[in-house]
Amino acid sequence: MRKTRPWKIRVLGDVAALAVSLAGLPLLARDLPPNVPPPEAVSFQMPAVHEFPNGLRVVLVERHDVPILRLYAIVQVGAEADPPGLPGTATMVAGLLPEGSNRRSAYQIAQAVDQAGGSIDTGAGWNQSYANVSVLSNDKTRAFNLLANLLVRPSFAPDEVERIRRQTLSALDVADQDPGYVADMVMRRLLFAGTAYAHSEDGTRSSVERITRKDLVDFHARYYAPSRTILAVVGDITEPECLRLARRFLGEWKDGPDLALEPRTQPLAPRLRQVVVVNKPDAVQTEIRVASLGVPRSSPDYFALSIANQVLGGPAANRLFDELRTRHGLVYGASSDLDCYASLGAWVAKTSTRSAETIKATEMVLDQIERIRDAPVQQWELQSARNYLVGNEALQFESASQVANQALEMMLYHLPRDYWTLFPQRVRSLTADDVLATTRKYLHPDNDVIVLVGNLAAFKDGLKKLGAVRVVPIADVGRAFPEPEKGTADRPPSAK
Amino acid sequence: MKIRSIRIFARLFATLMLLAVFEPHLKAASIELPSLKIQTLQLPNGLRAVMVNRGESSVITVEVWYHVGSRDETPGRTGFAHFLEHLMFDGTKTMGRQFSDYIVRAGGIDNAYTTTDVTVYWETMPTSNLPVALCLEADRMRNLDISQSALDNERAVVEEERRRRYDNSPYGTVIPTLYQYAFTVSPYRHLPIGSTDDVGRATTAEIRDFYNTYYVPNNATIVIAGRFSVDEAEKYIRKYFSPLAAGPGPGQRRIPVEPPQTAERAVKITRDVALPAFVEAYHVPADGTPDSYPLRLASRVLSGGDSGMIYHQLVYEEQLALEAESSADFSEDPNLFFVFAVMNARHTAAEGESALEAIIERLREKPLSAKELQKAKDQVLFELASDRETSKDLAEQLGYDTVVLNDPNLINTEGEHFLAVTAEQVQAAARKYFVQNNLTLLEVHPGQNGETTATLQQGDR
Repeated sequence: MRKTRPWKIRVLGDVAALAVSLAGLPLLARDLPPNVPPPEAVSFQMPAVHEFPNGLRVVLVERHDVPILRLYAIVQVGAEADPPGLPGTATMVAGLLPEGSNRRSAYQIAQAVDQAGGSIDTGAGWNQSYANVSVLSNDKTRAFNLLANLLVRPSFAPDEVERIRRQTLSALDVADQDPGYVADMVMRRLLFAGTAYAHSEDGTRSSVERITRKDLVDFHARYYAPSRTILAVVGDITEPECLRLARRFLGEWKDGPDLALEPRTQPLAPRLRQVVVVNKPDAVQTEIRVASLGVPRSSPDYFALSIANQVLGGPAANRLFDELRTRHGLVYGASSDLDCYASLGAWVAKTSTRSAETIKATEMVLDQIERIRDAPVQQWELQSARNYLVGNEALQFESASQVANQALEMMLYHLPRDYWTLFPQRVRSLTADDVLATTRKYLHPDNDVIVLVGNLAAFKDGLKKLGAVRVVPIADVGRAFPEPEKGTADRPPSAK
Repeated sequence: MKIRSIRIFARLFATLMLLAVFEPHLKAASIELPSLKIQTLQLPNGLRAVMVNRGESSVITVEVWYHVGSRDETPGRTGFAHFLEHLMFDGTKTMGRQFSDYIVRAGGIDNAYTTTDVTVYWETMPTSNLPVALCLEADRMRNLDISQSALDNERAVVEEERRRRYDNSPYGTVIPTLYQYAFTVSPYRHLPIGSTDDVGRATTAEIRDFYNTYYVPNNATIVIAGRFSVDEAEKYIRKYFSPLAAGPGPGQRRIPVEPPQTAERAVKITRDVALPAFVEAYHVPADGTPDSYPLRLASRVLSGGDSGMIYHQLVYEEQLALEAESSADFSEDPNLFFVFAVMNARHTAAEGESALEAIIERLREKPLSAKELQKAKDQVLFELASDRETSKDLAEQLGYDTVVLNDPNLINTEGEHFLAVTAEQVQAAARKYFVQNNLTLLEVHPGQNGETTATLQQGDR
C-alpha cells in the first residue's frame, strides 16, 4: 500500500509521475480547471416605441455594418383565435399573405423580394401572426411597400386559396406520419383540452378541407389591424427614413369596423394522468413526451421555473441529458421546454429512444421530474443555472434582429419595460427553496400527460407501470385524434 | 406560415446536418460589403488561428476546426470522425467529463458537428469568458480519455442519432441512399454517421490512433469571431496551445478519386411514406474551382426563393409537388448538386421528373437574362451579408474558408469571382454538368419499408 511507503520514495514517485504527465498532458495543472468568473449582466435598453395615430407601433434597431434591412411585423392574433371547429385558420391566413394582394400577384411578390436578394416569411404562432420582409438595404422602399401589400391588402384569391389548401393537405399527409410531429400534436391536444390551445395550429385534414375563403377574409378583417400590429425595423436605415416609409405605406391603414377582441383563454383545472400510445408498427424509435401545465409568459413564477427547467432539461447540460444519454446511452437528445403563451403554458420533457427501451426511458424521465419536484436542486446546479441564464442574456441580444425580437416579445406578452434590466437580479435572488416551491406548485405526477409514438408491440409488456393507457393507431390521429378521456372529471383546482 | 412551416423539409434537410451544407459567399454589383480585418496567427507547433474582431455586443464564438471528416475514413472504418466528435464531450484525463458544465457556468452554449471534410467544435459565450473556452479546448485536443465505457455508451447514442435522423424520419433514408449510389469509390459514398457495423467494431486502440493522427495542433485551426481584443486572445492562445506538441499528422492524404460517371443511374426505394418523392443529383466539381461559381449561381436561379424556376414551376404553376428544393453540396472534393421534390397527392415522381427536365433543359439551351443573373447574384450577396450578423455565422464562414478552401481572406475577395460570372458561363456549366450521363435519379415510392432496386447501365460502376 502506498501509505506505508517511505516518504522519500513517494516524492520521487510523484515527481516521476509529474514528468510523465507533463509529456503526455502538456497543460500545466494550475490552468485546470479554468477559473470561471460569474458572467456579467448585460444592460439592454429597450428601443423607443413610436406610436402612430392609427395605433401602429414602430420600434427601430439601427445598425449599419451590414447592408441589410429587415422588417418584422407581428399582429397580436394567432391560432388561439382559430374559430371553433376550424383549426388552422390563423395559419392559413398568414400563409396566404404573400400569395397575392389586390395590387400584385403571388409571383410578382416573389419576384420583387427575390430580386432584392431578400426573403419573405409569414406564419402564425398561438398569440401572434407575423410577416417578415428582408432585403438588401439599397431597396428600402420596396421592403415597406411589400410589407404593406402583405399585411393590409391580401387578396385571398380563390385560386391561391385552393392551391394552399391542397398544399396544406399534402403537407399534413406527410406530417401525420412523422412521429415527432404527431407526439407534439397529441400531447398538446390532451394537455390543453378544453382551451383554445388544444387544436393543431396547422389544422387537420377535415378542418383544412372545410375552411372557406370567407372564413379567411373574415379572420383577416376581424383581427389584422394597425392597433394590434407592432413593426420592428432592423438594420441599415436611419430613424427619419424608417418613420417616413412606415408612415407612407402603413400610416393610412385603419382598424376595421368589425374588429374582434383579443381572445382570452380561461386557465385550466388539472385533470387525471393520461397516457396515450400512438401505434406506428414500423417505427424503430419511440417519441416520448411527458407534459405538465406550465405558466403564461408574464407569470411571476417564470423565473423560478426557468431555473428548474434549466436543471431538468434546459438548453445546456442538464439532468435528463445526463441520465438518459450520458449515463445510459438510451437516447440521442433529451430536453425539457418551458412553452409559455399569453394565457397559459406547458412544461414538456421530450426525448426518443429505441423501441425496446421505451418504458425504461419513460420511467427515467418520470423519475427526474419527480426528483426535481421532491428535492431542492443542488447548490452547484442552482449556481450553474443562474450563471447560464444571466450570461446567456448577452447571447440573446447579440444581433440587431435578436434585439428587435426581444422587444417584440416584451410587447406581445406585456412585459414591463425594465424586464431585462431586472432579469439578472431576479434570477440571482432565487434560492433552491424558491425553486422547489415552484416545481411543487406545477408538477403533479397524477395529472401529467404521457404520449408515446412508436411500435407498441415492442414495449407493450411494461406499459401497465405507467397507468391506464389508451392506444390509437397512427392512421387515425390526423383524422380525429384523441379526445381527453371521458370520466376523467375535472377536479377543482383546490384539490391539488 | 408557408406550407413548409410544417417542417417536412426542415426535418429532411436536417438529415444533411452532418453534411453541413455551406451556402455560397459573395458580393454583387449593387452593394458593397465592407472589408473585414482578418488576423491570422500560426504557432510553432503548426496550430493556426483566424480572428475577426467585429460586432457591437460582448459576445464571441470560439471554434476549433479539425481537418478531418468522413472523407478521411476508409472502408471498414466509416463513422470514426463523427464517433470521435461524440467522445470529445466524454471527458479528459485531466478534467473528467466537465467540458459543457464549464461552458454553461460561463454563460455560454457549445456543440459540435462533423461533415465530410471537417469536425468543428464551437462555443458562443460572453466575451469575458474567452479564456475558459480556449483552456478547455486545449485540454481536450490532447488529453482525451478514450475509455471502453465511453465507447460503449457513445455507440448506443450514435445509434439513436441514426434512428432519429434517418431510419425513423419520413424520407430520412433518401439522402444516404442517394450518396451510396451516386458515388462508387469516393468516401463521400458514406455519410459522416458511417455504418453501424464499423462503429460497432471500433476498438479503443483504433479510436486512439485516429485521435492521435488528427487531433494535433498541426491539423487544427482556431477561429474567433465577435467583439473581443485580438491581442488578449492571442495571449491566451499562446498560453494554452503552445505547450501542445505537434504530431506526425495525417501526412499526404490519399483520397480515392471518383471516376467520371458514364451513364445515368436510376434507383427506386419503397418507404412507408404518404407521398412519392424523387431526387435528381448531378456530380459537381470541388468548391472554389472556377466552375463552382457559375454552378452556385445556377443553383440560385433554380431554387432561390419562391420565384426560383423549380419552386415556381413544380410547386406553384403546375402544382405537381408539395415542396421542391435544391441543394448544392460544394465541398473539398467533388460532390453533388441535387433537387429533392415531394410530390402532391395524385401526382407521380415521373411527372415531376419531366417538369424538372424541362427546366434544366431551358438552363442548358438559353443563357440567363441579365435580370435573372443579377437576381441570383443579389441573393448570394444577401447570404454573405447576413452571415456577418452573428459571431457564430461569421466564425463558420472564416473556418470554412481557412480549413477547406485554405484562404482565410476569401470572405473579402470571393464576391469578385461571382460578379465576374456571365450568363454564358452559367449556360456552359449547365451544359457540362446537368447532363444525363452525370445523373443519379432516386425515386421514393410509398409502400412497405425496404425494397431497393437499382438500374445501372453496363460499363458504369
